[in-house]
Amino acid sequence: MQLSLKPALLAKIYEVEDFAAAQELYHSKGWTDGLPVVPPTEAAVAACLEWAGMPPDQLIGIEPVRAQPISAEKLAINAVMAGCLPMHFPVVVAAWQGMMQEEFLLHGVTASTGGCAIFVILNGPIRREIGANPTFNALGNSDRATAVIGRALRLALINLMDVRPGGIDRSTLGHPGKFSYCVAEDEEDTTWEPLSVVRGIPSGASAVTVMAAMAPRQIMNEWTREPKEILETFAAEMRANQRHYSIHGGNYAIVIAKQLRDHIEAAGWTKRDIAEFIYERARVRRSEWADVGKGAVVRDRGESVYTALAGPDHLLVVAAGGPAGGFGAVVPPWLGDKTKAVTVAIGACVDCAPGKG
Amino acid sequence: MTLRVLDPTNEARTVGGQPAARPASLRGKTVGFISNGKEGTKGYFAHLERLLRTELGVANVAWCTKSNYSAPADAHIVDEIKHWHAVVAGVGD
Repeated sequence: MQLSLKPALLAKIYEVEDFAAAQELYHSKGWTDGLPVVPPTEAAVAACLEWAGMPPDQLIGIEPVRAQPISAEKLAINAVMAGCLPMHFPVVVAAWQGMMQEEFLLHGVTASTGGCAIFVILNGPIRREIGANPTFNALGNSDRATAVIGRALRLALINLMDVRPGGIDRSTLGHPGKFSYCVAEDEEDTTWEPLSVVRGIPSGASAVTVMAAMAPRQIMNEWTREPKEILETFAAEMRANQRHYSIHGGNYAIVIAKQLRDHIEAAGWTKRDIAEFIYERARVRRSEWADVGKGAVVRDRGESVYTALAGPDHLLVVAAGGPAGGFGAVVPPWLGDKTKAVTVAIGACVDCAPGKG
Repeated sequence: MTLRVLDPTNEARTVGGQPAARPASLRGKTVGFISNGKEGTKGYFAHLERLLRTELGVANVAWCTKSNYSAPADAHIVDEIKHWHAVVAGVGD
């Protein structure tokens, strides 16, 4: 008799005839995002757990509002369904650890009519290890790793937190990032510090940043090399978001692609310089709401000034995108500062950090 | 070829609270409103209060507003619920 040293998986098992039958089972039970899934077999799930060094019942965290426990095995099942390989799984775990921090407000983020998605930014050596592509089509279908990692977060929300459209998910519109919304930063082709380092993670460590975000708003300015002019275009898009969507300040991300990045870097601007400039420029008066049909809520506070950022630190500057084209993107927050972006080192124990009671 | 596949749902999910017993009548009772604080809730709850008082004989209506419309009700509001016979809460836009 041969004894297995691997701990047994705990999830209920279904036997299906073939791949097609597996698809119908998962779709019929509401376990997918509408796309086909990779059947989560015991071997595939066990491989994820083994790669991460986690037993099936390891608690990844407890969602703070509805007190739902998230186990390593259940997260691995959803990761496999999304198409993750074992090497992707630690990123999914870290992202979920970030999402379950109280300041992220996961329940509000996923239940809101606002319809945001979880925007994920990868930093550190793991980007290259898993083959993430931070260049061409960075915010789209750029590569396998970012596609499946972003999708794994959504499938786990659907299956572990019942975040289904019309269920917990009350989104009026949602946006395409709810399928997958993950980007790797182009650390090799910039002089700037990685986002994770800016946000306090030691240099050289792999990390994931999660942010509750609306769809990206693309900007274009190919007619200047002056950093202030380039960044004014980003700030204008943020002001537009404040007028048209939400006036309240929160974490915004801006993604700056190579062509514009080169101009800004050549002038010696750091991410801090960018954030300070944007902080000063991205602000509107409440009276501007009247220009866009929202005069009813201006009331007697027309002269009040609203900054898109509570401070420069609230801007997430990300270097990513293909080599040509004067493009960038503003990724707005779901709703002001009700949720905060969270950065987590991959493989670290989030709740073991000093100060966590 | 038969495949053995795993259940992706949270089989360990915790059971939420159970609904309180329904009052047979609201006459003479106190009803609490928990507003999420959005603009549209003012008119809605004001109308609901009129209906409760005039048509169902409710004696008192207590209004509470959450400090964050996307988060659970504040602890002091939850604490207040035990003084009410019924509560109306939910999304309001």
